[in-house]
Amino acid sequence: MSAAARLRLFALPIGALVLVAVVLLVQVANGGGRFGPTALADPCAARPAQSGAPTTLDALGQRLVLLGLDGAACRLGTSREALTLDLAQDHSDPSDAQVAALRAGLLDAIDDMKRDGTLPPAADLVDQALDASDLNAFAKLAIRALPDSVINQALPTDEVLRQAVEDLDVRALLTHLDDGDQLSTLVTQAVTKAVQETLTARLHSLG
Amino acid sequence: MVPVRRFQVPLLALTVGFVLADSAIVTLALPAIMQRLDGTVPQVAWVLISFNLVLAVCAVPAAWVCDRLDQRVCCAVGISVFALASAACALAGSMEVLIGARSVQALGGAFALVGALELLVSARGERRGVGWWIAAGVVGTAAGPVLGGLLTQAISWQSIFVVQVPVAALAVPAALGIPPLRAKSTERHRPALAPNLALALLSAALTAALFLLVLLLVEGWRRSPATAALAVSVIPVAAAAARPLVRGVGATPRVEAIAGTVLIAGGLVGLALPPSAHLAWTLAPQALVGLGLGMTVDRLTAAALRDRLPRAVHGGWTIAARHLGVVAGLLVLTPVFTHSLQSAQGPAQDAIVALVLDAPLPASDKVAVAQALADRLSAETDQVPDLRPAFRSLPIAPADRAAADDLERALNDQVQRAATRAFRDSFLIAGGLALLALLPLSVRVSRRRAS
Repeated sequence: MSAAARLRLFALPIGALVLVAVVLLVQVANGGGRFGPTALADPCAARPAQSGAPTTLDALGQRLVLLGLDGAACRLGTSREALTLDLAQDHSDPSDAQVAALRAGLLDAIDDMKRDGTLPPAADLVDQALDASDLNAFAKLAIRALPDSVINQALPTDEVLRQAVEDLDVRALLTHLDDGDQLSTLVTQAVTKAVQETLTARLHSLG
Repeated sequence: MVPVRRFQVPLLALTVGFVLADSAIVTLALPAIMQRLDGTVPQVAWVLISFNLVLAVCAVPAAWVCDRLDQRVCCAVGISVFALASAACALAGSMEVLIGARSVQALGGAFALVGALELLVSARGERRGVGWWIAAGVVGTAAGPVLGGLLTQAISWQSIFVVQVPVAALAVPAALGIPPLRAKSTERHRPALAPNLALALLSAALTAALFLLVLLLVEGWRRSPATAALAVSVIPVAAAAARPLVRGVGATPRVEAIAGTVLIAGGLVGLALPPSAHLAWTLAPQALVGLGLGMTVDRLTAAALRDRLPRAVHGGWTIAARHLGVVAGLLVLTPVFTHSLQSAQGPAQDAIVALVLDAPLPASDKVAVAQALADRLSAETDQVPDLRPAFRSLPIAPADRAAADDLERALNDQVQRAATRAFRDSFLIAGGLALLALLPLSVRVSRRRAS
């Protein structure tokens, strides 16, 4: 067989191989093979720091819960997402370990935020807290009249939150994950109680 | 060769194309069929499998019968049965009736195909007649999903079957009008093993491109049947372009088939590795598959028929090999795909939870989104979920609408990612099946050399 004939014989398979290689190289170079569900973050590793302190109670609560879920998942050796699904699907009966891990995770979250300087001072949140509370109008007016420095000194955010987490009925909270109103009531009760206890402790320390 | 009227050969070729297109023509209509006839996933799978299985099993016996009878009558009866069964498919009110009608359609189709081969040879001579038959089959096979998708979107799934009835009705007199070959050979050759085996393996591999790709586009990437049909039209266009493109190269048919097999395998691997859910990323791999299809199926079919008698019986063997390959492909790839889909659910669910948790939305909105998503996911188990309805009735404040829209887009992206990953193994296995076809092609080369 002449060289030209041999070239003609193999030209087509070689051309096919080249075409396939070009297509596959372009696909892979642009991310082909890696297009799948996004990998989950390690709950034990610190997430990228959020800029600034939360400015609303809702944002503060969410940041604490997300950091708390990370801490709880890390303690339980699972992912934040798997723990969330687990709690959401089996919220009628969370285990003791889950309840303890979540409480510890929330306490860690408060420490982390305090260390990062992202815990807002109580005075920044007092208006929203009063709006949401069922105090009478006279009491709300009186509290709003207090200088920010007095509020911040009387109610250090980290102490109030730590007390709230200690007081929070985490098991009851987890059984009402699908009931927004009930969740809000439980959190409000815990925070209100924490504020009262913190204020009482302050007054005792003054005495 | 006998003198024939102008439209008889095109009508017979069109019928051959329709019968072979029916193998995959309902793929894009399956969701609509499942919804209309209240069917289950296994039942709709049998709408595909029943046709291909009956065609595979009946093709050779039908050819034996046709070889002993008048080929015109054999072909005309087959086309008539095919037409009546097509009408029955369109009128089917239950999955059971549809599957039964599809089986009868395939039975009629088997007689129509093998009868048409002899009549086309009678009308156009050996080389051109076989060429018409093979070309009609290749175009029909490649164009089936496109035609079915466009008809489903434009009219309804029933129209897929309705449009076949008048074509078949016109083809009956066309078949009866072509005088059969006078001299019947008494020679009996054994089936050509290597090309038929290669045809079976390639058909199994092509199942991924003709069935799974459209499922990925419609169910995984949520494209409309018409969009999916237009996207997969790359395959028939490339298949049609293959012959003119390689004509000048001067390769032998076997080398052409080997090159085509490499293209099919490479195209299927390319379909397994799209960088995103953009349709553009499927075009080049589809073009490879289409070119490969155009370079292999006709060459291998011609090799299986060459110098072998009775011609109809050997034509039947090629039909049997191809459609057994399709059935095998469906039976192998469907469980792999189903298992991959189930395996993808966990990571996809986790990714969805992560997005909802991190979304810049108020906590109450997140709870509402999570509940709506949970309802959607539990309503659509064992399939790629459509999350879009979960967002339609959510009481989101106008200020948070943009964030909710971003979340919806991100969630759909995760579903597409999970679906793409779920299809990956099936495409890779299909690529492997295509490469296996190189074995019979190579064996044949070495035997020839040895002899």
